[in-house]
Amino acid sequence: MNLVLVGINHRTAPVEVREVMNIHETRQAAALSELIRRDGILEALILSTCNRVEVAICARDEVEADPILRKFLTEYHHYDLNAYDRYLYWHRQEDVIRHLFRVASSLDSMILGEPQVLGQMKQAFATAKRVGALNGALHEVVNQSLAVARRVRRETAIGATAISVSYAAVELAKKIFGNLEGKTIFVIGAGKMSELAAKHLLRSGASAIFVSNRTYERAVELAAAFHGTAIRFEELFEHIDRADVVISSTGAPHFVVTREKAEQMLALRKNRPIFFVDIAVPRDIDPAVNELNNAYVYDIDDLAQVVDANKKQRQREAVWAEQIVDQELQKMQRRLASREVVPTIVAIEERLNLIRESETERFRGRLNNLSPEQRETVDALTRGILNKILHGPITELKSGAGHPEQGALVQLIRRIFGVGE
Amino acid sequence: MHSALLWAALAFYGLGMALSFPSFIRRRATLSPASLGALGFGLLAHGAALALKAMEIHRLPVTDVRGALSVFSFLATTAFFLVYIRYKIASLGIFMVPLAFVLTLISAVDNGALPASPEFRGRWLIIHIASILIGYVGFFITFIAAIMYLFQERELKSKRPRTFYYRLPSLEVCDELYFRSLIIGLPFLTLGIVMGFIGASRQWNGLWELDPKILGALVTWFIYLILFSARMSGSWQGRRSAYLAVLGFATMMVTFLGISFLSGPHGYFPNLGPKP
Repeated sequence: MNLVLVGINHRTAPVEVREVMNIHETRQAAALSELIRRDGILEALILSTCNRVEVAICARDEVEADPILRKFLTEYHHYDLNAYDRYLYWHRQEDVIRHLFRVASSLDSMILGEPQVLGQMKQAFATAKRVGALNGALHEVVNQSLAVARRVRRETAIGATAISVSYAAVELAKKIFGNLEGKTIFVIGAGKMSELAAKHLLRSGASAIFVSNRTYERAVELAAAFHGTAIRFEELFEHIDRADVVISSTGAPHFVVTREKAEQMLALRKNRPIFFVDIAVPRDIDPAVNELNNAYVYDIDDLAQVVDANKKQRQREAVWAEQIVDQELQKMQRRLASREVVPTIVAIEERLNLIRESETERFRGRLNNLSPEQRETVDALTRGILNKILHGPITELKSGAGHPEQGALVQLIRRIFGVGE
Repeated sequence: MHSALLWAALAFYGLGMALSFPSFIRRRATLSPASLGALGFGLLAHGAALALKAMEIHRLPVTDVRGALSVFSFLATTAFFLVYIRYKIASLGIFMVPLAFVLTLISAVDNGALPASPEFRGRWLIIHIASILIGYVGFFITFIAAIMYLFQERELKSKRPRTFYYRLPSLEVCDELYFRSLIIGLPFLTLGIVMGFIGASRQWNGLWELDPKILGALVTWFIYLILFSARMSGSWQGRRSAYLAVLGFATMMVTFLGISFLSGPHGYFPNLGPKP
């Protein structure tokens, strides 16, 4: 097994370099076919996204793969790779496996736990398979990396918490209201973030949305986009007690919802909780409202704090994820190692069988006096001897799979039985 | 046989408890299947132990302190499973499982060494005790729901998510659990107290009404009645109700455990305290 990976990512190279090294989706198939045509290269994979470009290959054991890969990239991109040396990282052997596992599990991503990279990996895998560039060890590794990614997502919470302000608003709403079904949202004012938050809330199950704006036409527009109802700004406080979640981002210089108004709202709602999301600057909701029982006010800074806490949480989860990657790496190394010994075992069996057949042939003349049963007995005898001889080395090879001295052992056994390197 | 099963239940509870710690440390919202399985087996063994004992003495084994504790922890674990199936809250287990373990341990350690008081006769008594135990389990869950609500609410108000934010269920779920356990617990406690009054008036003379345990139970009952009506009237006071629920639980625990050891005719130690 001879794995090599070369690449750049958002940490090692700025976007100008990444866009130059990018290998576009439509040209990946051709690039892969060209790469595996090269002498010594058995398998190849190209992963090219906006944050990384990586080329992984599996070469024949005795081959020095680095120069071949360099030459390919130089020729492919038509420039001197040495100029970009300082942006490149190289991985070899089990580091390739670990790297691919980590990338697929989003541990190497700009945002821990991001879900896109797994889809990108799947696509790269499919493309490489289609052109026949994956048929051995690399195929196993990439295939397993998809499974490892799924395991990481399943067993850790690395992708579970909100790391954008609008998702954080939804997460908080769920922490207060549990199920968002049947809950009512009021959007006061307009703005990208409030629209985004409203959209997420609706998608998470909130059922009714009311939009209010100083400009009624704008409110009607937005309400239509959400299949909601528009309310004139002057009439806002006649209806706002229906709101479970209030998202406010007006340009008003004063408080839209004062403490008194909030008290009235709570009284009308018989103290059912209200969640105020205040995205406006200057703030629309009087911060004193947060002191009221069952009223929760989060301004833009508070939401950012939640996002920060969630990011730290993801980092904690990443520690568990790395442990999973370690475990899977060990499993994969054992699997690949035992794969390796199969050709050796087959080669030895063939060699010994050849000897058996040729010797049997040599003695045919003298064996002709025997009856068919006796000839069969001799046949069984030679076969039995052969199997018994083979048993020892085969057991050693299989049980030693994965050990560091395995390589030397395999070479030795091959030499002893004369099956070549 | 009964004793062996009880120890088996204890072992499984212990195993389930140990297996549930990683879920909590790692801020998981749900418990691992392994810990749930261990607890489930523990519950089965525990139920079998109680059934065997019941068949042996021809009635529910609540007539001595240890039996009552065992039945209580069995009911509590069953309640935990019912709540978990509905809400999948791991944090509930952190409270309930160690409690079940400790109570089962106490009841297993010295089995049946105490003779049942001669006062313990009559079917009304068994219903009385069983109803009160179910009521107590309900209120125990009310207490836990209130505690979870308090912690979660504090963290949401502070706007700084720390440890509980990730582990505890939403305020709504805490509230629902609080309410549902209350409407299950209160009727059973009421039934138990009524049965107790009926039975006591038949069996005892004198001022048995002033017996500390009965007074304690009445105080507990009254606190929960306040909680219940406050909730029903729609004044969802959140924090205030939660504090009252904590007080209610404290009085309940004092009544159940503390007074059992003091009250004469009502306690499990009939030789202490005055007889009516």
